[in-house]
Amino acid sequence: MVRKLLSWLGGLFVLALCASAVFALVVVKDRIRLVVQLDQTAAGPDPAALLRDDVAMLQRDLGELRTALGGNFERLGTALEERAETRHAAAQQEVQQLARAVASLQQGQDGLQAVSARLLAKADAIERDVAGVAATVARSAAAAAADAAAIPSPLAEPPKPAEPQPVAVPPVEAAPAPVPATATPGSQPAAKKGSFLSFSVPTAKFEFDQPHDYVLVPELCRVGFDAKSTLHDFTGVTSKVKGQFHADFDDPSGAWTGEVECEAKTLVTGVDGRDTSMQEHLDTAQHPQIRFAIGKFEPGAVDAAKQMADGTIVGTMTIRGQTRDVRMPVKISVDASRRVVVEGQMPLKISDYGVPVPSQLGGTITMQDEVSVWIALRARITTGATK
Amino acid sequence: MSRRHVWSARFACGALLLLGGCIASNVVARNERMVVATVAELQFAPAPSLPLAGLYESLEITGDAAIALRKVYYLFLADGAYAAAWLTEPDGKPGFQTGNGTWTTSAAGLSLDGAEPVLLEQAEDHLRITAPNGVLVLRRGTVQ
Repeated sequence: MVRKLLSWLGGLFVLALCASAVFALVVVKDRIRLVVQLDQTAAGPDPAALLRDDVAMLQRDLGELRTALGGNFERLGTALEERAETRHAAAQQEVQQLARAVASLQQGQDGLQAVSARLLAKADAIERDVAGVAATVARSAAAAAADAAAIPSPLAEPPKPAEPQPVAVPPVEAAPAPVPATATPGSQPAAKKGSFLSFSVPTAKFEFDQPHDYVLVPELCRVGFDAKSTLHDFTGVTSKVKGQFHADFDDPSGAWTGEVECEAKTLVTGVDGRDTSMQEHLDTAQHPQIRFAIGKFEPGAVDAAKQMADGTIVGTMTIRGQTRDVRMPVKISVDASRRVVVEGQMPLKISDYGVPVPSQLGGTITMQDEVSVWIALRARITTGATK
Repeated sequence: MSRRHVWSARFACGALLLLGGCIASNVVARNERMVVATVAELQFAPAPSLPLAGLYESLEITGDAAIALRKVYYLFLADGAYAAAWLTEPDGKPGFQTGNGTWTTSAAGLSLDGAEPVLLEQAEDHLRITAPNGVLVLRRGTVQ
């Protein structure tokens, strides 16, 4: 009985389970569909389809790009070709201009050669003319001499018998002989032009044993005197010197001329009070210049090779308006700048020139009457000066 | 003369001697009478790669060129060009002449207008150019 009951209960339980399952299926059927639909949406379209679509789009873009690039390349090529043609044309023009310039230069060279040839021809003609004139003059002189011999002179002195004239005049020829290249008497050779670095300057050689005109270089000149006094010795000196001279160091006759002068008031001794006193004694207000006039030069030893000489300059010295004859032994040399250096010294009594001998404190302090006058001069050749 | 006066005179003489001793002798030595150029004190050394650009004026010209030249000015430009002026005194009438061209320097020295190089040396702000017919010492200046 129990077994039957349990069988019935089991059967009922199974039925209940089935019924519950059916009921649950009915209840949740829609939700289950909804979940399935959402999953399909999230998965998206078919990747293969998308890939095909992308490939198709890329093919289209590639086609468009190829089209666009092809046009641009064509335009770029065209532009490059145009530019190359322009450059080519410009280069051709430049070449043509250069060719014209070269042709012009060649023409100029030809013209210069022609001018040069004409000038040479003219020079030859002038030489022939000069030779002809010289011959004519010589012939005329000979004829005049012959006439003078034939016609008696109106002067009281009886005419001398005409001496036979040597036949020194060459016969005039149709083609005269060339004139020698010597300059005419009295003319000076033109200064040649040389170069120093980039300069074109007259070439001048310093010839120690030749006469020249010289001018002092004030910046490089000093004159002065050495004096002795009771207390101490001192030097008066000035650089305010100017002058010029004509000299020939090798000339035994010593025919020099020239003058050197200095500003008396510019003499300084290093002590202001003494300078003032010196100017008063020299009376610089009335006699501002101290002047040395060169009369002649008595040469001693002269070494032209070493460009050195010594001797005595004879001249006159003018101080405070008084002029006296003086003789100054000098040494002469030449420095690296081809300037003549003249150094000399001589004793001189200031009282001879009317200069009061300075004395202080009633004669307690006195200066010696005799001073030693000296010169230290540099002079350069006057360029272009005549000998 | 009283004894007091004698002493005063002795004192005056002594004072004068002392005063004189305070003033030293200032005699110029014989070998110092001549004006000396200061250029000789410069120490020059070869300068083939010297930056030459600048203005220069001559301080000393020696050699045969000195007979004609009185003063020289050079303006060297960095681009290799130069301008120059030189003072001459033909027939005692001074006058400037001018010129220009190109310059280069090399181990051999300074070359102007492609000519043979000449020795170029330098000292402090100074140049010395030695050419066959003269030597030129230049000092650097400024262009105003």
